Amino acid sequence: MNWNRIVKTGVVAAAALAVFTGCATKKGFEQPGFAFGCPIGDAKVSSMDDLVKAKTVIEGRRSTVVANEMRCTKSGDLLKIDTNLNNDSKSVKRMAYKFRWIDQQGMRAWEEESWKPVLLYDNSNLVISGISPTNKAVDFRLILRSDE
Amino acid sequence: MTPSRRLALAGALAAAALAAGCAKDTTRYGDARGVETVTNTFGSTDLQLMAESMARSMQQAPVIASANLPIVTVQEVKNKTSEYIDTRAITDSIRSELQKGGKVRFAVDASAMNQQVDELKRQQSDLYAKDTAAETGRMVGAQYRLEGNIVSIVKEVKNTKDVYYKLNLQLWNIRNGLLEWSDEKEIRKTTTRG
Repeated sequence: MNWNRIVKTGVVAAAALAVFTGCATKKGFEQPGFAFGCPIGDAKVSSMDDLVKAKTVIEGRRSTVVANEMRCTKSGDLLKIDTNLNNDSKSVKRMAYKFRWIDQQGMRAWEEESWKPVLLYDNSNLVISGISPTNKAVDFRLILRSDE
Repeated sequence: MTPSRRLALAGALAAAALAAGCAKDTTRYGDARGVETVTNTFGSTDLQLMAESMARSMQQAPVIASANLPIVTVQEVKNKTSEYIDTRAITDSIRSELQKGGKVRFAVDASAMNQQVDELKRQQSDLYAKDTAAETGRMVGAQYRLEGNIVSIVKEVKNTKDVYYKLNLQLWNIRNGLLEWSDEKEIRKTTTRG
């Protein structure tokens, strides 16, 4: 094998690795214990649906409104969450939501938040955002409730 | 009507009156953080939503997030709505949330200054041991002042009343007069009759 061939093979291998790394970052599993930026602990999360299921609690009556996307990031030392709610119905729906903040030991990191009422137009999406009130909050649950 | 029938009728009437009396007042504890929609005037849910949203937003302001426990004093939130709103309750809730979050310290504000001065004077009297009494001239001035206003727009037609509230808060740097943070929270409530 001549020198040129070795260099060419090396370049192709490096490009393949870069593409692979790029895909892995896009998928969102960039840190162990996190998925799409959200803390998951030891939970098995291999897709967005798994993450939303693990982090969302639905209380009260079932509704056509569902959370279908969730992403988290750090804002300083606080945890910031964006969740997409989808109303897959032909009528306007009213929901209420709140976040429950959990500390390192699995205990409540903050008192219960107030319910926040939201309105979702027919066949529409709404992004709700939350930010942890303290840096002691390392995990969360999104609580959804039909307000009709 | 026979006496026995009269007695039965009187008994039935008394039972009905008693039942009606009992049905009148029922008191139960509720969820203090639940969505309150009794009327469309400013309510507990509005207060909680505004305070929570503003406190969380202010925590992310660079001057709060990156500074080492900045000192803030709370000034007036002007009520420019058409109804009575205790704006002090909003700023008190914001202050509590920020204080619990541990990112901000609060200096005594103008409304509590008289009590602070009275207590300092009391401790400076001959009644207190000099080595434990708080000294005068040791109070710490705030670096930032928090102020704002709340406005409302009310529209009403025959069967519909629409109320829109907007709370605007600002954090001003006292030393240089710069506006370091500002945010708004809007709320809309509509009541329809029938």
